[in-house]
Formats: sequence, structure tokens, C-alpha cells
Amino acid sequence: MDIPWIAAQFPQLVGLQPLAKGGQKVVFAAQHAAEGDVVLKLLLKATGGERLEREVLAGQLVECDRVPRVYETGSLATPIGECIWLREQRVQGTTLRTRLNAGALDFVGVLRLGAQLLSTLAQAEAKRIVHRDIKPENVMVDHGGNFWLLDFGLARHLDLESLTATRHHFGVGTFGYSAPEQMRNRKREIDGRADLFAVGVLLYECATGANPFLIGARDQLEVLRRVEQQALPRLQMPADRDGAFADLVAALVQKYPTQRPRTVAEALTWMTEIASAHASPLPGGRTA
Amino acid sequence: MDLFLQFGHGMMEHCRHLVRSWAGGTVILSPRDLKREQLVKLSEEIRGLQGGQVLLDPQFYVPRSDHHRLTAHDYWPDSYQTNGFFGGPGMQTMMTDVLQLNRDLGCAAFVLPGLMATAIDDDWLATLRATVEHAATMNAGMPLYATVALSADSVRNTAGIQEVLAEFETLDVAGAYLLFEHPNGDYIVQDPIWLANVLELAAGLRLLKKTVVVGYANHELLCLGAASVNAIASGTWMNVRAFSPDRFLAADEEDIKRKAVWYYAPSSLSEYKPPFLDMAQQRGVLASMAPPAAYGSTYAAALFSGVQPSSVGFGEPEAFRHYLQCMLHQARGVRGATFDATLTGLRQTLDVAERQARQLASNGVLPQLRGFSDAFDPVRSALSSLEATRGPTLRRAWASL
Repeated sequence: MDIPWIAAQFPQLVGLQPLAKGGQKVVFAAQHAAEGDVVLKLLLKATGGERLEREVLAGQLVECDRVPRVYETGSLATPIGECIWLREQRVQGTTLRTRLNAGALDFVGVLRLGAQLLSTLAQAEAKRIVHRDIKPENVMVDHGGNFWLLDFGLARHLDLESLTATRHHFGVGTFGYSAPEQMRNRKREIDGRADLFAVGVLLYECATGANPFLIGARDQLEVLRRVEQQALPRLQMPADRDGAFADLVAALVQKYPTQRPRTVAEALTWMTEIASAHASPLPGGRTA
Repeated sequence: MDLFLQFGHGMMEHCRHLVRSWAGGTVILSPRDLKREQLVKLSEEIRGLQGGQVLLDPQFYVPRSDHHRLTAHDYWPDSYQTNGFFGGPGMQTMMTDVLQLNRDLGCAAFVLPGLMATAIDDDWLATLRATVEHAATMNAGMPLYATVALSADSVRNTAGIQEVLAEFETLDVAGAYLLFEHPNGDYIVQDPIWLANVLELAAGLRLLKKTVVVGYANHELLCLGAASVNAIASGTWMNVRAFSPDRFLAADEEDIKRKAVWYYAPSSLSEYKPPFLDMAQQRGVLASMAPPAAYGSTYAAALFSGVQPSSVGFGEPEAFRHYLQCMLHQARGVRGATFDATLTGLRQTLDVAERQARQLASNGVLPQLRGFSDAFDPVRSALSSLEATRGPTLRRAWASL
């Protein structure tokens, strides 16, 4: 599939540019007359159509200011087989991974990230959706400094049948961020608390500039061992005067889901209390 | 944290006396030690006292028990078949009978029968759930407490403890009655993992807003104050201060052996035989072993009267009441205004007790089998583990627990 061929199938899109390619998925950036900057994702139905369909469903269900809006979906016969596609809002900015390459976030930034990410995930939780792939690569920082959650491609709908085979030794996710129960494919234990673990690791990394589960690890098995057996050192941030934020992160990264906050909503309340205690005006009249 | 009285052999008068003296208290009745008529009579007496309450522990930990006093109770099933009992009429009949007994005794809560888990597995969790779900259909008219009795190996199973907690997330009970078998039959447990998991389970249940009562406890489990446990239960003899399923398997009339009297020195968390109190007197350190006046224990006053301690007639009744009086004060005083204050208080108690025990030992005053020396570090270790795993959430939720 070359760009001219794709452009011919989507005449309402102009300026089609490759954005990413991975696995059986290709992603393009483009402009739409009514919707502005958009992203077009195509996935071969035979190899992962169901996952993209779940991603579409998740995107539609999680109606949140900081999840890209899904505008339209459909299927398409291509020279290499049947594809399903989705067109969604394109967030202008950089990935959190790119931002972290310049160093850790400041305390206000970390609080804002925590509050916005948990707010998004709480809405997902209310729709019985677990994202399962929270990591810097899947978070965008827009030009206003707001954090967007991308890529519900691994999302688990708790009311729908799992797409991950029970026989698989490892579950889907990303080593170094995903919760132990998720990586061990203990599907019965997976709920919103799996995302809380990843949020905790992400916040830790953003606060310190490094993910201790990943630094210097020989291979993924060592990462897994660290995730399962190594406690993260307590966060030390001078601005976190009473240690309340360090407490929250420590609770999020507990090894067992039963040791974390019971729900994302509960974690969000906790985060909001901390953010309020450190409230400072932010652009747009919001607080951290 | 409150102290309940765990009924055991020969405790009737102690219960009456202490509940009266304390102007209130809860006695956990033991069918193993009391016939139905005795249960009813004692319950009426306790509830007739100001603030007196009773609970009934159905002691169904080992259903195949042939303990004749236990199996003689009406509620005990005539036959117990492992397969099908908890999903069939056997359990329902037993539950109906136990509930009726609870009602007859005027119990403050319905402690549900529960098997002791030799292993925490799906089968055991299923029996726990089946019992609770059936109880929920019975309109008991009183709070339901699920029994969680764990073997020593089960207590050490960290992942298993989390499975119990996961199960409780969806169990419709007001509370849990926890029983932990001591490893190796030890009175004072020296295993930090065992202690840490006891704290973990208790704290996890409290954070699920369950009332938690820990049975068969001794002073080592005062550390459960850090988990905001509602009450621990203790009693006279060692067999009601440390849970062992053996006590419920077969009647052993010799199980209460006449042993030496032990004096509990609360400041060193250790117990001493009177001859060692004589040594303490001779070495001039006896006064440091006396309970603080605030503890309100006068039962041991004679030991500190200036007469040789072993000659003042300090016997079992005085030793038991002194122990329980001190435990009451220590249990009620363990909880601080915050989680951190509670931890600090417990650590200070351990530090003071360790210094005191060393000081006494250096004077030849030794606790022999009932010393705490090998438990100071395990308890500290367990508290640190609790702080690391549950500290953030306990700190935040403390005021609401």
C-alpha cells in the first residue's frame, strides 16, 4: 500500500504523511476539511482486526477531553487483504518519551500528569475498560502542557471476552510498566488496578527521569523479575513536603492489586487532594 | 484496639470477674469447653454485666474432629463429607443450627463456621464463599463475621494472603474472625514473614472496612494495632493465646497440664517464673518489673510488697488476671492518632522492652521459654513490611478506620 493508493481511497484527506508503522498497523497524519489534523490508522483484519475494533470501541466509549476523538471507522479491501481503518483526532505535541529525553518533569508537571491521566483512566474504568499499555510512548504532551492518552489497542473490555489466549505464558503489555498480574497473564486479577501500577511507574519515571525497572536490565526476563520482586525506592521530591505524593506512588506500584487503591476513581480522588494541596494556577485557569 | 476474652478451660469466673471489673467486655465462647447449658448460662451472666457481650466461635476448623465435647453440640454434623458438604444440605442444616445457637446466646455478631486452610487454594476459598453466601440468605439479624483460620504454612503464603483479600473484596460480611496457627507450636513467633502476613491480612481487611477480630492472641500480636485491628482475643492458658488445630481434634483431658505460674512483665513483654522474680528482688531490679500503676493491675501487687515473690501465693488466677489486665491496657493504648504515631509508639515499646529484658537478663532474671528476645527483630521487621506495603493507604485512611 503506497501513499497515492491510500490517498485515493480517502479523498477527503489531504497531506497524507506516514506517522508510524508497527506490527500489522500503519498510521498516517493528514488534514481533514472539517476535522482538521487527523490520524488515519489501518490494520490488516486477518492479523489483528479484532484488536483494532476493540480500540475503536474503547475510543468511542471513553469520552474524555484528553483521549483523541474517533471520527469515523470502516473497512477497506487492499492489495494485501482486508483492512479496517479508523480516523481520529490528531494531538499536536510530543510524546512523553520525547519529553523525558530532555529530563524529568518538575513537581507541578508530575502532579498535572497524574491528575489528568487518572482522570482519563477513571472514565475508562467507568466504562469497564482497562488500557493495559500506559507508558511514555502512549502519552502525548500537547502545546498547552496537557497530557493525552493514546492507543487503546491493547485495551481490555472487562465485559467482553479476552482476546489474549489463556494458554499464553505472558500477557500483553510492556515490560517495565505493566503490572505483574498482567505480564503473568493472570486474567482473573486484571482490572483498573493494573493500569494504576503502570501509572505509578510512569509517575516515578517522570519524577526522577528514569525507570528503575528498565535501567541496566540485561533482558526482559530481568525486567520482569524486578517488577515482581524489587520495590521502587521511595520518591524524594523537595516540593512534596509532606510526602503525600510519594505515598500515592508507593501505593500505586504495589506488587499485588489488592495492595493498591481499590479503584482508579479512588486513586484519582487521592491525586486530586494532593494536587489541590499544591494548587497553583495553570494556563487556561486550571490548577495542577 | 480492644481486648476480647478467648474462653478456655477454667475461665468462667475469670470472665465474669474481668468483664465486671472492666465495666464491659466481650467473651468469645468456646463450644469445646462448654456444654450448651453452660454456654447459655455464661452468656446470660456476661450479658447481664454492664457492657458485657458474647460471640460464639463455632470451632468448625477441623470438621472431622472427634473431640467429644465439640461434636456433642447439636449443630455439629453427624456426618461430614468433604465433597458436597458446603454446597449441599449438610452445611445449610449446620448453619441453621449455629445461627439458632447464636440467637439463643444473644451474640453480638454471627461468627460463621470456617474450615482451617491447610493451603489457600480455590477449594478452600470456595468453602469460604459458600458459607458467607448462604449466611447472607439467612437474615441473621446480626453482623456476619467470616472465619479465616490459616495453618502456619498458609500464613507464610504471601500470594495466598492476597487471594484471601481478593475474595473478601466481594464477600458480603461485616467482619472477619482471624485465626493464625503458630509455626512449630511456638508461643512467641520468631518468623518475620508469618508476622508480616498476619499484619498484611488484617490491614487489608480493615482497609476493606471489615471489622477484624484476631483470636487466640498473645502480647506479640499487640503489633496488630498498626493494622488498626478492632480487637484481639486472649485468655489464660497458652492454648488460648496461640491457635493450634490440635486442640480441636480430639479430647485430651491432659491438655491442661499444671505448669509453672508465669508473671507477665509488660515493660519487657516477657513472662517470668517466680524463682526468677526472687532473683530480681535479690539483684534489686524487681521494682522495674512491676506494671505501671496506670495499667490498673493489682493482681500482682503482692509480688512487689517486699516479701520474697515466690512465697506470696501468686498463683494461676492472679497470673492470668494480671496478664489479661495488662493486655487490656496495652491493647487499648496501642492505637495512636495517626498510623505513623502508632508505628512510632510500637517501635518505642519494642525498644524499651528490649532494653528492659537485657537489663534483667544481665542481672540473671531470665524468662526461659517465654522470653521475647528472639521476637523483637521479627516484629520490627513485620512492622517495616507493613509500612512499606500498606503504610501509604493506612496513613491516608487511618481516621476512618
